[in-house]
Amino acid sequence: MKKIVLLVGGRSKTKSLAMSLLKRGYQVTAINDTYEDCLKLAEIDKLTVINGDGTKPFVLEDASAGSADIAIALTSKDEDNLVICELCKKRFSVGKTVALVSDPKKTDFFYKMGIDSVVCAISAVTSIIEQQAFVEEMANIVPIGEGRVQIAEVPVYGNAPVVGKKLWEINLPKEVIIGCILRGDTTMIPRGDTRILAGDMLVLISGNGQEIAAIKELTGR
Amino acid sequence: MGLFTTKKTADYTIIIGCGRLGANLANTLSDGGGNVLIMDKDKDAFRKLSPSFGGLAVVGDGTDFDALQDAQIGKASVVVVVTNNDNANVMIAQLAREVFKVKRVIARLYDPEREYIYHEFGIDTICPAVLSAKEIDKILSKTNEAAGTGMAVSACEVEAK
Repeated sequence: MKKIVLLVGGRSKTKSLAMSLLKRGYQVTAINDTYEDCLKLAEIDKLTVINGDGTKPFVLEDASAGSADIAIALTSKDEDNLVICELCKKRFSVGKTVALVSDPKKTDFFYKMGIDSVVCAISAVTSIIEQQAFVEEMANIVPIGEGRVQIAEVPVYGNAPVVGKKLWEINLPKEVIIGCILRGDTTMIPRGDTRILAGDMLVLISGNGQEIAAIKELTGR
Repeated sequence: MGLFTTKKTADYTIIIGCGRLGANLANTLSDGGGNVLIMDKDKDAFRKLSPSFGGLAVVGDGTDFDALQDAQIGKASVVVVVTNNDNANVMIAQLAREVFKVKRVIARLYDPEREYIYHEFGIDTICPAVLSAKEIDKILSKTNEAAGTGMAVSACEVEAK
């Protein structure tokens, strides 16, 4: 059974999301209230596009929201996203609803209203910028599990204090492990006696925001 | 008597949206001696308030947490949400109800199809289209009756002749 995803509102976000979901084998329907945006979206192969206001129950019905597995509200207005998700949840019993919010203070409120997943673009972007600004060495941090767990890619330069040390000699915070070392073309799952060399790329898994401390420990900054 | 009348201070109404309905309601409540705060995004909207309006008029976005907090929404006994945007009304009403725990929340809704979202949260709704339809229906049935009796009379008259 193909999973059915409903995307409501949004233009560029919807476009890229639709393309990646279709590539992964989902069946995708997009609703947009601007005709021009619909034309743009309709250029995507296999995407069903419906022109209408997604906050109206009959438009959602036209998009057969009742059979959707996931509904994602991507409009620029918080109130519209809230209504879209609530309608999908209550009227069309969609299994999972996802809403984009622009006001970070409303995240908790949206969860309280029964929306399964709330994505705040502003706080996501700010946290990424913060991380980038404070830890230059960091190539990449990916939050998972609603941001409670971070996976970070940390390059080790020649001047780093950990070069030549074995893993058990490094004083890492308790909730951080080095899950993987990328050395040249090889990938290795390290043990306590694995030595870190200059030029290694370490993949860290950390909980509770410990990654900054760990990265400081590893890079010496 | 005049000196010692204690005003009921517990009664505090917040109206969000200063359109024709909001302004009218604010004027009425304020004339009746209630504590009223009316909020609107647009300060020009407050022109609709009567000169005798004795409440507070605050410029602010009703969907904004801080604006609602500044208006001391937690102390309000009633919140009336009458902006011209249904979805904003849904959100403000739910914020008032679920976050700020306001006992009575009344919202205006243009589209009656979204009504049941409110009922689940115990929010009272007013739908102008439904009310107008009922009212028009009432007027129609009245005029029909009148026309009906008129017809009957003329029929009698014809018979009498």
